Amino acid sequence: MKMNAILKKEFLVFFRNIGLVVFILYAFTLDIYIAGKGIKVTPRNVPVGYVNEADNLVVNKIISSFHKPEFKKSKMFLNEKALKEAIYNKKIMVGIVFNKRFVNNLISKKQAKLQVLVDSTAAAQAEVTLIYLQNILMKFGNNLKLPAKIDIIKLFNPNSNTKWFMSLSELMSNITMLGLVLIAVVFVREKENGTWDIMLLMPVKGSLIIFSKILSQVLILMVGITISIGLIVFGTFDTPINGNLFYFYLISFLFAFAIGGIALVIASVSKTVLEVGHLTIVIMLPLIFLSGAWTPLSSMSPFIQYLSYLSPLRYYIQATQDIFFRGSGFIDLLPYFGAELLMALILFYIGYRKIGRLF
Amino acid sequence: MRINVIKAYLKKEFIDLIRNKMIILTYLIPAMILILFGFGIKMEVTHARTVIIDNDHSKLSLEIINKFSHTKYFDVKVENLNYKEALHKLQTNKADMIIIIPPSFSKNLYKGAQIGVYIDGSFPLRAITLQGYVEKVLINGFNIKLPIKIENRNFFNESMRDYNAIVPGLFGLIFLVVPASLAAIMIVKEKEVGTIFNFYSAPITKIEFIISKLIPPFLFHSVNIFILLILALYLFDVPFRGNLFIFWVASEIYILISVGIGLLVSVITSTQIAALVLSVIITVIPGFLYSGILMPISSMGKESLIEAHIFPVMYYNHLVYDSFLVGEGFKSGGNILYFLILCGYALGVILVGTFFVKKAIK
Repeated sequence: MKMNAILKKEFLVFFRNIGLVVFILYAFTLDIYIAGKGIKVTPRNVPVGYVNEADNLVVNKIISSFHKPEFKKSKMFLNEKALKEAIYNKKIMVGIVFNKRFVNNLISKKQAKLQVLVDSTAAAQAEVTLIYLQNILMKFGNNLKLPAKIDIIKLFNPNSNTKWFMSLSELMSNITMLGLVLIAVVFVREKENGTWDIMLLMPVKGSLIIFSKILSQVLILMVGITISIGLIVFGTFDTPINGNLFYFYLISFLFAFAIGGIALVIASVSKTVLEVGHLTIVIMLPLIFLSGAWTPLSSMSPFIQYLSYLSPLRYYIQATQDIFFRGSGFIDLLPYFGAELLMALILFYIGYRKIGRLF
Repeated sequence: MRINVIKAYLKKEFIDLIRNKMIILTYLIPAMILILFGFGIKMEVTHARTVIIDNDHSKLSLEIINKFSHTKYFDVKVENLNYKEALHKLQTNKADMIIIIPPSFSKNLYKGAQIGVYIDGSFPLRAITLQGYVEKVLINGFNIKLPIKIENRNFFNESMRDYNAIVPGLFGLIFLVVPASLAAIMIVKEKEVGTIFNFYSAPITKIEFIISKLIPPFLFHSVNIFILLILALYLFDVPFRGNLFIFWVASEIYILISVGIGLLVSVITSTQIAALVLSVIITVIPGFLYSGILMPISSMGKESLIEAHIFPVMYYNHLVYDSFLVGEGFKSGGNILYFLILCGYALGVILVGTFFVKKAIK
């Protein structure tokens, strides 16, 4: 009963702040839609320019094989100088120079060397673009016969649809950010207004107050997750789910509590909302970007990989990807559930020791 | 505009910031983001956990395994598993890629031999990159001469270092997020605590108030330009080929835009938490999306291209990348245009913000 009263109070406070409610709805819907639709890490629409010094039909044939969605319509330049200038102005990312020697070698079936100028500012993109280029060029020249067929299968997401991956990553990042901010502020606003001591003086156990305050925000987050999963992840992007949706809810719930634990620790050391804001940014950014939400963990430096074992988001991301893409079962997910729970308990204990007593 | 009034108000703001210990965070956060992201974000794919199942045990299969082991891209383990166990490894995220060499593979060459590669596709970029690497290594392993060989000359980031690609791009993100949230919170705090009535009732004009509110975050972050520049140059070894003066002035204008956005946020919010959430939401996503870190602006589709032009980060980062990697400076017309757009943007944001700040209770 006492818990109900506190939950009711927190919901009331939350819904009175209309602006905040609108931002949170935005963060769970439109924001995820924009991220899913907008962020495409695989090269798309690469602008290609070329110089045709040889003036041979083969060149036109090669050029016409650069097509959408990987490449934009290629532009012709009169000479190498003009092409270079366009690259320097970042209008062109890949410049190809077809000279006479290349065409002659190609026709006489020798190995022809093709000059390609690449703006490699974005190194990874440039590298993948070169891979595309090599694949296209394999089809030309003397009939290449490989001794063995290379059968490459990309499991779980065969067409490399980035929307599925990006929308989930954005959702997890937003849950982390909102969880930290909402839960920490629930406490610190009372501290700043001076009502926290009054709360603790009420005839309710301190631990119960803290738990129900966090629970109220976790429930708000769960509603947001439901809206987001229903409207955007399934509704708009048709993301497949190979595992069990219930496990996703379970891990989200546990993760929200682990984040709540971090927020509780933040709240216990800061006096004003301003401090919460800055501490949250300090903790949130490494949490989000170094836990493997956006770039694979295995490519990061080993030190950061070890550090990420401390991040509850790491387990959440892996579990979510396992559930949605890899279709893991309950037994395989157990370590993740355990890790989240353990972290939540430890953080709750630390936070409670500091904030749960008077003066 | 009275200088004395502004001076007095500024003094109060500085004392407030130092007392809050905000000053530590103002210098800690940007440097921290640069260091963590610079070392942490890796777009290139290395050390992919690769399991090779060799059922052939021939000279060729050993050679293929050798070829895979000798690059930084793959961490190879040779294991004896059946198909189901291998699939389970992928499903439980114990491996990123499985290569299966079938029995009597080398005998069947040119007679329908087939090599199976299974890649975990949940990270699209990683999957595509790995696919390309695998093809390259295998073709290399078969010892075939390709009909067309690409001789690529790389511009700007010749060695294709990830640091050169990512670290300059972070400038646009950091100087969009941090000054905006600081400025917004500094103003909204007065609203929430109630001290904004001092401003309503004191004989200070609107413009004096805005100037004294925006100068502290602006000045603090001006120092940050050089801190971050030093980190980029000496910690990450990013080359600097452009004009330092252009880079500096462009950064100052960009910070002005950012505090202007903070001013706009403070107009529509009344609690610090709302100000913080709003300023982070409207700056982090565009700051990251249109920074050129994840994808070059030139390779965007129509919709995102239009969106990219709405936010200031694209213009600024174009100048930053130019200063670090290209070095054209104002010789290129595009740079001058983008610089002027930044100036106009700053003016516009601050004017709109000033217009909406009211020296009265709503």
